[in-house]
Amino acid sequence: MSAGGAPQIALRGVTRTYGAGRAEEVRALRGVDLTIAPGETLSIEGPSGCGKTTLLNLLGLLDRPTAGEIAWDGVSVGAGSERERGRLRLRRVGFIFQRFYLLPTLTARENVELPMRAARLARDERVRRSHELLGEVGLSGRERAFPHQLSGGEEQRVAVARAVANEPGLLLADEPTGELDSKNTESILDLLTAVQRRRSATLVLVTHNPTVARRAHRHVTMQDGAVVGDARDP
Amino acid sequence: MTVAGFGGGLRHSRLQSILAIAAIGAAVALPVVLVGVGGGVSTHELNQLETAGYQIVVSAAGTHGIANAHRVGESIRGVNDVVAASPVLSVAIDAFPTGEGAQAVLAEGIIPDQFAPTLGPTESGLFPDPLPLGDPTDSIHYANGTYEGPATYDVLVSTPYEAEFGVGPGDRLLLGPDTNRSGATAYNVTGTFGVSLNLLGPTAAFAILLPLSDLQTMTGFGAAANATVPDAADTIEVAVVSSIATNPGAIAAVESQVQALFPFYGVSSLLQEAQQLESASAVLTGFYLALSSVGITVGLLFLALVLVRRVEADRRSIGVRRALGLPGTSIASGILRDGLVLAGCGAAAGIVAGILLVEALAAWTTGAVQEAAQLAWFSPAFLAALTAGVLGLSLLASGVATRTALRLPIPEALR
Repeated sequence: MSAGGAPQIALRGVTRTYGAGRAEEVRALRGVDLTIAPGETLSIEGPSGCGKTTLLNLLGLLDRPTAGEIAWDGVSVGAGSERERGRLRLRRVGFIFQRFYLLPTLTARENVELPMRAARLARDERVRRSHELLGEVGLSGRERAFPHQLSGGEEQRVAVARAVANEPGLLLADEPTGELDSKNTESILDLLTAVQRRRSATLVLVTHNPTVARRAHRHVTMQDGAVVGDARDP
Repeated sequence: MTVAGFGGGLRHSRLQSILAIAAIGAAVALPVVLVGVGGGVSTHELNQLETAGYQIVVSAAGTHGIANAHRVGESIRGVNDVVAASPVLSVAIDAFPTGEGAQAVLAEGIIPDQFAPTLGPTESGLFPDPLPLGDPTDSIHYANGTYEGPATYDVLVSTPYEAEFGVGPGDRLLLGPDTNRSGATAYNVTGTFGVSLNLLGPTAAFAILLPLSDLQTMTGFGAAANATVPDAADTIEVAVVSSIATNPGAIAAVESQVQALFPFYGVSSLLQEAQQLESASAVLTGFYLALSSVGITVGLLFLALVLVRRVEADRRSIGVRRALGLPGTSIASGILRDGLVLAGCGAAAGIVAGILLVEALAAWTTGAVQEAAQLAWFSPAFLAALTAGVLGLSLLASGVATRTALRLPIPEALR
């Protein structure tokens, strides 16, 4: 498996069950098979509770499957230790959450720097790159602002800058525009696709918003924890 | 900025932080007060023993239990390296100051030239030198083993007694064994002696000093006609030559010789007493620390709860950090740092509070509590060890919170 770049992702028979063996057992994913090529833009669509976010968590190694295998570039990674999966997330995965999840006690620049600090980049390099990234997302001059001083759209821009701070090959966005108005939705989607193209990264969008889904070239549809559709744009 | 950023929580949960610091502070203040005061009192007592003018004490069971006190003292003075052997008889008698009824007073019967060498450096300055009691060796009155010689009828009174009853040098003072004035004898007040301001001991504020044989005959503790006993005393204080006064081995040798002379009397050295006091003090300190450990445990449990509560409140931030791939060590270090800051502040607050409390007790209370507080001593080594112990234990409290943080399922934390 290469150290960086977009990985070839393969899910084989992936199942995720919560509370296994108990009365409240929930089977969130039921034997999902899925392959994602490097550089693809893919949407995962479906009704609430169908397992979209669970699948995204497994793709981003935030969670471990109950059964089945997750492989990156042919190497099984899904069942690794938290430390191994954390290392992969830090270097190769960028997350964008619906509710932004910026750390409230850190400024915009510090939020963007956070993954770079964890990756032990030198301070000068961190400052230079965070400045560049905030410029790339249109927030030059807002480096010192705290999250509560930013609008929703600005917060999500900071989140995008943070997601690409370590130049990951896989960008995972969970309802990235769920908290934004239509103008900001378009703007953020433009930004996401732009940063993806510039880095030749894979972009996976979890959404039930058709506007967002239209940005993808491949559309995976889920229902009751299973993939029921997988279509590519002509 | 911190990698973990957990430290930001301290600012955002000020009340919890203050409560945690207060809990640890209260827990730390307890041993500071107990060990500070207890240690100070022990050190003071030890110092008193080590600076006493005598090194060996001969005693017997019961009150006034030593018989033949003059002869016993003389025999002890014959032992090598002994410079003085001072029999002391303490009896409460009645005095009749001019214009007053019977007033109880503590009388001490002594042999003047034996008593003076047994005074320590603090006490010796309080007594006139030589003691103006007329019969320095008590051998005029107690001549040839009888009380047939003339008594001096000299007495020294303490300065508080002088101040209270207006009895001073040149005055006469009636002294008797009981409240019956007709049985009293007139004594010449030939001088006064100061009363040590030493704390925690009998102050003998209203005391008088007179020749041993005078007190024995007055109170009936002298030998009856044709009898050889009792010639009573309570103790015989033995002073050795200064060259061996701090040499435990040499003192033990003298002690053995005295014991051999009088096998049925108790013979002990003040060094032994000091060692026993040190042992007792160590036991007491251990007890104080055991008692305090309960408080410290409660304080640190509270700290653990505050840190766990903070982890719960910050679960989303922790989840985001872990989702971004920040290593667990960076999250743990933030929690450990917070724990150390709270415990350190608590320890500092507790030490300051403990010292201030003792200062307040010394300033605003009365009696034994005030006196003990005035003797308190705060050992820097103990305070440092206490702080280090609290900081060390805070790591355990932080460990509990860290474990909670690192076991949070990331998807749940992000919900």
